[in-house]
Amino acid sequence: MDTITLNPAAQLYRTTHPAMGTEYSLYLYAPSREQAAAIARPVFEEVDRIDGLLSNYRPGSELSRINREAFQHDVTTDPETFYFLVTCMAWSERSRGAFDISVGKLMKVWKFFGASGAFPSPEELAAARADVGWEKIRLDRGQRTVRFLAAGIELDPGGVGKGYAVDRAVRILRAKQAPAALLSAGSSTIYALGAPPGEAGWKVRVPSPHPEGGTISTVILRDTSLSTANLSEKNFVHDGHFYGAIMDPRTLRPVEGMAQATAISPSATDSDALSNALFVSRPEDRALLLDGRQQDCALVVREKQCGQEKQFAAEYEAIRWPAEVANGQLAALANAKEKVKL
Amino acid sequence: MNRRSLLQGLSFSMLAAKLSGASSLYGQAEGPQAAPSRRIAANDRVNIGFIGPGSRGQELLRQLLRTPGVEIAAQCDVYEPRFAEVNEMVGKKVPAHKDYREMLQRKDIDAIFIATPPVFHATYAIAAMKSGRPVYCEKTIGFTQEDCANVVDAVRKTGQIFQVGHQMRYASWIVESVNRVHKGDIGEPTHVYGYWHRNDNWRREAPNPSLEHLMNWRLYRESSGGLLEELGSHHIDIANWVFGEYPQTILGASSIAVYHDGRTVGDNVQAVLGYSKGRRMFFSSITDNGLMADQIWIYGTEGSLQITLEDATFYKQTSKTITEASHSDVVQEGVETGASFNADSAMPYRGPGYRLQAKPGEDATRTACGSFVECARNKRQPFANVDVGFGSAIACSTGRQAVYEERAMKIPAIHV
Ligand SMILES: NC(=O)c1ccc[n+]([C@@H]2O[C@H](COP(=O)([O-])OP(=O)(O)OC[C@H]3O[C@@H](n4cnc5c(N)ncnc54)[C@H](O)[C@@H]3O)[C@@H](O)[C@H]2O)c1
Repeated sequence: MDTITLNPAAQLYRTTHPAMGTEYSLYLYAPSREQAAAIARPVFEEVDRIDGLLSNYRPGSELSRINREAFQHDVTTDPETFYFLVTCMAWSERSRGAFDISVGKLMKVWKFFGASGAFPSPEELAAARADVGWEKIRLDRGQRTVRFLAAGIELDPGGVGKGYAVDRAVRILRAKQAPAALLSAGSSTIYALGAPPGEAGWKVRVPSPHPEGGTISTVILRDTSLSTANLSEKNFVHDGHFYGAIMDPRTLRPVEGMAQATAISPSATDSDALSNALFVSRPEDRALLLDGRQQDCALVVREKQCGQEKQFAAEYEAIRWPAEVANGQLAALANAKEKVKL
Repeated sequence: MNRRSLLQGLSFSMLAAKLSGASSLYGQAEGPQAAPSRRIAANDRVNIGFIGPGSRGQELLRQLLRTPGVEIAAQCDVYEPRFAEVNEMVGKKVPAHKDYREMLQRKDIDAIFIATPPVFHATYAIAAMKSGRPVYCEKTIGFTQEDCANVVDAVRKTGQIFQVGHQMRYASWIVESVNRVHKGDIGEPTHVYGYWHRNDNWRREAPNPSLEHLMNWRLYRESSGGLLEELGSHHIDIANWVFGEYPQTILGASSIAVYHDGRTVGDNVQAVLGYSKGRRMFFSSITDNGLMADQIWIYGTEGSLQITLEDATFYKQTSKTITEASHSDVVQEGVETGASFNADSAMPYRGPGYRLQAKPGEDATRTACGSFVECARNKRQPFANVDVGFGSAIACSTGRQAVYEERAMKIPAIHV
């Protein structure tokens, strides 16, 4: 049995908070609305603090300062920011560059920064080559400094920042001894703390990438996180091709042929980074990403073209996935490419 | 120790006992002369001793950790859980002291940061300067009028570097816009209106009731000048900067409009400060509606300037009545008739604004911390020096009474 017991009088409260261009939700068991609000306040203050630390939309953030100065000179940064960058570099290395926070320029060239995307000119694309690449970022542990080896490098924390904010916020929940809570960063990263009374954990549904496809899998999570990468947020169609805001830093183009990647990991920073790395990685590299990470799981849905016609079907690939996957739901994707607007 | 400091010590311990319920933790009177610190050479690491790493203190610490050549060498707080928080942020164990005098005895500390509640600022800052260290002290530099004068006196006598936590003086867009005001961009500035409106109860959660006064020192008169001191001091400082002098009078009012929770300072405040030549500063703070947020308007005879935490916008008056020589054409050719609407005069009192193109705004606190470390190395007095600190602190310490008694008071010119 659990050592932490829930007060039987506890009720479920939901607090929402706008941050990082999305809406965060916190579901929390507490004896009163006031007590729920009293816990939610510092949780969201922490989310806002991380936004202030990592936002590339705010000139005053530490990440923006690094972006402005790190080509000119070594930028001394605080341990938190430094180790955040170390974690990002480790994921770049592990994913052979599929995950890379140096895609800032690329996001701008493809007009995904503050907009919903457009096809760049060949010149813009060619010029971006020099401005992207995690190997052009030097971190010096001894001095705690960051240095860019190319003038145009711009860090964009989009593939990991929400996960990091969730991890930090969950620390506050733990410090406040919240026995059961679910924190969701606009649904792309979710952390399940403890379990609702009488339950084994918090249920999280992984939807079909098809808007009408229903749920393809339901997992029960406890003291772990889940993140999903898909293209539903920002995308556009050009020449019959569908482009979304997840970049392959190696080809300098948005990833095609992928529908959705979901990852489970005890750390929300890791599940966020992992879901994006899975989304970008080549099929043969995906399993490697989870090598030696026994607690991590993944469910990847990709599109595949069948026949010569523009016919599509979806296929899933599960790695240690802890629940059943309804394959039937995925079939709905076939022929629905136009409508799907994946 | 002379009689005066002994008395001060007593009143501090009395106050402190009230704050914490544990007098031994508090009321550390002015300490003995500590060993003089080592001299910092231009390229040396600067070892910082930090007093009061609470909410603001941790923000300062974070910015110090982003400053090259800085080592967090010591921390001092009366609330022990802070030590672990600091260790985590710094990424290593920072030697901790519960008594600032013990910390000042150490020989390996080059400069002191103070971010305790304001009642302790003067005592700690003076002791730190006497021990031979440059000091970065949060606003306000003193709680009482006497405190304010004593800090100025100590800077004069010790010749130490002293910087006050008015980081708005280091915000690139504010520096540039105030420079332009001084150059006459909005004519003669006559009024500064500061708003700091928010929608939260300004209360901190106390882990248990005995810690209420330690956590919520801002809510009680014996330890806080309330919203005027905590928020208004920054705006008063901007008015002092714009007008180039200290205010002479302050008229105040406050009440509790919503948070009847035992606090003894108001949950809203209004203050009018008088400067020479009839110039005025107005400050308003309310805590149950965040419209207006934190912004300062500077009104001049030929335009206005709006300063926010992110940017600055100038507005020029467009409808000036101008008389000049007329062409005789009008007589020969006649005048034309047509539509009278002119978009530019739709808001004659404001006109179209233009955003100041200042360089990207680095966090002002980071600039302020970096600048202090440079000043400590190069033995230069900072821009936000003790005179700056005195100006806002003397207005706030006088303003406390003006606000509580809802009357106008003269601000003493102890120092000028
Ligand atoms: N410049 C700014 O923008 C800004 C912003 C916020 C606060 N402040 C100023 O910073 C100071 C601290 O404010 P805060 O909001 O961080 O308060 P806080 O209560 O969060 O922090 C104060 C810290 O000082 C400690 N402390 C209290 N008495 C002490 C003593 N006698 N000796 C040593 N440590 C002691 C407390 O335990 C706490 O850790 C105030 O002067 C406030 O006006 C400045």
